[in-house]
Amino acid sequence: MRMIVLVLAAALGWAAPAAAQQTVNAYSIWPENWARPMFEEFEKATGIKVNFVRFSSGEALARVIAEKNNPRVDVLFGGPVETHAAGIKEGIFEAYKPPSFAKLPARFKQADGQWVAIADDPLVFMSNSKFLKENNLKPPASWEDLLNPAYKNMLQMADARTSGTAVTRIFSVLEVNGRDETKAFDYMKKLRKNVQVYTKSGGGGTLPVGLGQAGAGIFFIVDALDTKAKGYDVSISFPKEGIGTSAEAVALLKGAKNPELGKKLIDWATSSAMQGLFAKHKINFVPAHPDVAVEASLAEVLKGAKIFPIDDAYAGANRKRIVERWVNEVLNAKE
Amino acid sequence: MTVLLLWGLLALFVLYPLLSLLGRVATDGGRLSLGSALAILADPHQLRAFGNSLLLAMLVGLAGTALGFLFALTASRAGLGRGWLGVLDAVTLLPLISPPFTTAIAMIFSFGPRGLITYQLLGIKGVSVYGLTTTFFSETVTYFPIAYLTLRPVLAAIDANVEDMALSLGASRAQVFRTVTVPLAIPGLANAFLLLFAASLADFATPLILAGNAFPVLPTQAYLQITGLFDLRGGAVLSFALLVPAFGVYLLQRYWVSRRYYVTVSGKAGARTAVKTVAPWLRPVLVGACLAVAAVIAYFYALLLYASAVVALGANHAWTWRHYHVIFTEGARAIRDTLIIAGLSMPLGGAYGVLVGYLVARKRFPGRAAMEVVSMLNYALPGTIVGIAYLIAFNDPPIALTGGALIIVACYVFRYSPTGIRATVAQLQQIDPSLEEASLGLGASSATTFYRVTLPLVVPAFFAGLGVVFIRSMTAISATIFLVSINWTLITVRILENMTELSLGPAAAFSVLVVAIVYVVIALIGRVLRTFSAPGSASLGSVLGG
Repeated sequence: MRMIVLVLAAALGWAAPAAAQQTVNAYSIWPENWARPMFEEFEKATGIKVNFVRFSSGEALARVIAEKNNPRVDVLFGGPVETHAAGIKEGIFEAYKPPSFAKLPARFKQADGQWVAIADDPLVFMSNSKFLKENNLKPPASWEDLLNPAYKNMLQMADARTSGTAVTRIFSVLEVNGRDETKAFDYMKKLRKNVQVYTKSGGGGTLPVGLGQAGAGIFFIVDALDTKAKGYDVSISFPKEGIGTSAEAVALLKGAKNPELGKKLIDWATSSAMQGLFAKHKINFVPAHPDVAVEASLAEVLKGAKIFPIDDAYAGANRKRIVERWVNEVLNAKE
Repeated sequence: MTVLLLWGLLALFVLYPLLSLLGRVATDGGRLSLGSALAILADPHQLRAFGNSLLLAMLVGLAGTALGFLFALTASRAGLGRGWLGVLDAVTLLPLISPPFTTAIAMIFSFGPRGLITYQLLGIKGVSVYGLTTTFFSETVTYFPIAYLTLRPVLAAIDANVEDMALSLGASRAQVFRTVTVPLAIPGLANAFLLLFAASLADFATPLILAGNAFPVLPTQAYLQITGLFDLRGGAVLSFALLVPAFGVYLLQRYWVSRRYYVTVSGKAGARTAVKTVAPWLRPVLVGACLAVAAVIAYFYALLLYASAVVALGANHAWTWRHYHVIFTEGARAIRDTLIIAGLSMPLGGAYGVLVGYLVARKRFPGRAAMEVVSMLNYALPGTIVGIAYLIAFNDPPIALTGGALIIVACYVFRYSPTGIRATVAQLQQIDPSLEEASLGLGASSATTFYRVTLPLVVPAFFAGLGVVFIRSMTAISATIFLVSINWTLITVRILENMTELSLGPAAAFSVLVVAIVYVVIALIGRVLRTFSAPGSASLGSVLGG
């Protein structure tokens, strides 16, 4: 009987654990295997426990918006900045400037402090080494290389409707074409013929590329290096024309139940203390904090790569229109 | 009284969330505005997705019902021994009790550009695994067991004496099959088709993985609209569009079924005779066809089991227990939460299904037809929409339920009990009301009649409903992804997460665990059912395997 009562009580959400310890609640867009060690380190440093669930950026944002009159969590942790930019319009964030704020370059923070970056994540080309060998190809070193008919039906990359990776990719193409939309869309329409499938999530194509189900794709470096670390034989390369990068951000929610604890989590995430731990936990993000050095093996991969930040103002003003154009002209292109 | 209580629950957990969502969709800053909703529906790409959804649901409904009928016929008419029946039941249950992505993933591994079958075995290069064919195949394999579960008790309940009589009157076996067996099974067939059509129409997990870009369907479009373009209204509009075909088919089925008279279990039946409708030469054909399908399914799940026990499928095939270690340590909380929630949903959902099915099929009360329609709503709607509707309706006072387990339990009960409702209705349509009238006429109360006469007859349907609710509680993803919280998380959500994190091993290990747990529970249900089954329905003992 006692058991039943306990189960029922728990079911109705009453049996909250005795709150001897301070707990901050978060939705994490970072996958669990990166978020968990960071939160454990935070608990070690401050004694504050992080209670979290992981969602993709779109799912997390949809939830936060739906819950905005009665927020269930305090912090939105991780995720490409364009997710947070979309959230600002919905009025879901509370502006907060952590101690590191002044030190961060302008592109790593929203002017009012609606979001602050905790890492940087450049795009890369990732290809299956066996596929390259079979087709006598070198790792693609130019955007043009991906148009090679050898890649027909063998590229996987993300769908711009759901993935920040894809949006960064499209703005990269615009940038290397001097923001000439006609030229950029011409290129993407040609690329479309080589694309096997546009995946829901940014990292969705990494496993197929790792397994050779697909030959190559465009991914964030953190996903690409993770694929390599899992033991898949893949090559990472950069286009000589350059490729974009996107910041990963953190934000405090308006109406958060534990705003003070939320702020502490943000203080820590934006500090050199947390970002200095990326290397220890094999998280291949590039630290956003200027005081933290890039880990040696990561720096080796990045050496000589031409990486440019996506212009916030330009992307923000044009994102919706460009994504819609991409859906109409590229994704739904009639062959 | 019972009716009022049910209406209260339906209003709270079906109508209220939907109306809340509709309110969000139809208004813009407090003003009524339908312009943007209509604009989305007029978009040619969305219209194409709408057409694709209908085509897919139609194909899956037809093929799945046919397969289900084949299996049900073989199980009830081919005179199989217990062992063979057990094999059929066990294999057909696999797709039902595994998380929704499993067959889709196995498809990609087998038939993709570097698939085990297409490339390694047949050496075909550059095939595309994404599109209508694979989605259709995967959904049919995933959902046909629902048709089997619906049709098996129906076929078993057709009195063999009726077929026997036709035979002795000189009809050929084919004639008996065509003019007696099939017509009597029509309510079951129609129900099975409806359930499959609705299941396919609402499925988002399979198309999300397999449909690719060439074959968009509405549920995935709705999901992408919400989670990708942050357009809740657009997504909701697309989902509401799905209701139209769902109810079209539903009404058709009602009209079609209700015009015929299907009583076969009456108080007047004599002793049962052996089943003779399947010719001896046909038996091995039926069994062979079933075994072929079973082999395909078994192959898919062997692949899954293998993936859970090697370091990285496709890259490093060294054996390891690592993935199981991960799920029993980091995943322990999700496992516990899922079991509690499924354990609560199962009895509630089973009871609710039989109660609604009984009221709808047997009782006359105002709003009966409306109750039947409303009780089907959450089932017909895509899970994404039900999840979002629940989230919107129950996040704020007066009824703030988000963050607890109750909201997930309610979601499961009201979303997955319709299988039990339909099974109960189908079963009751075959039972002569005179049986119950006799009980009432002899002075028994309505409640006593229900417990002593009707209930034993609907026991198979009850357990089918119970089983389906438990299974779905263990495997559902689309609605619950919006309802899990920092307090309550679920295995399926962890599986999806593992897949997006490229941790195929733990995802496979979790899936294997779910399959194992559900198997045990279903076997227990089967045992209980055998102990309690009413005289005359003893042959239904293995409705759910076990």
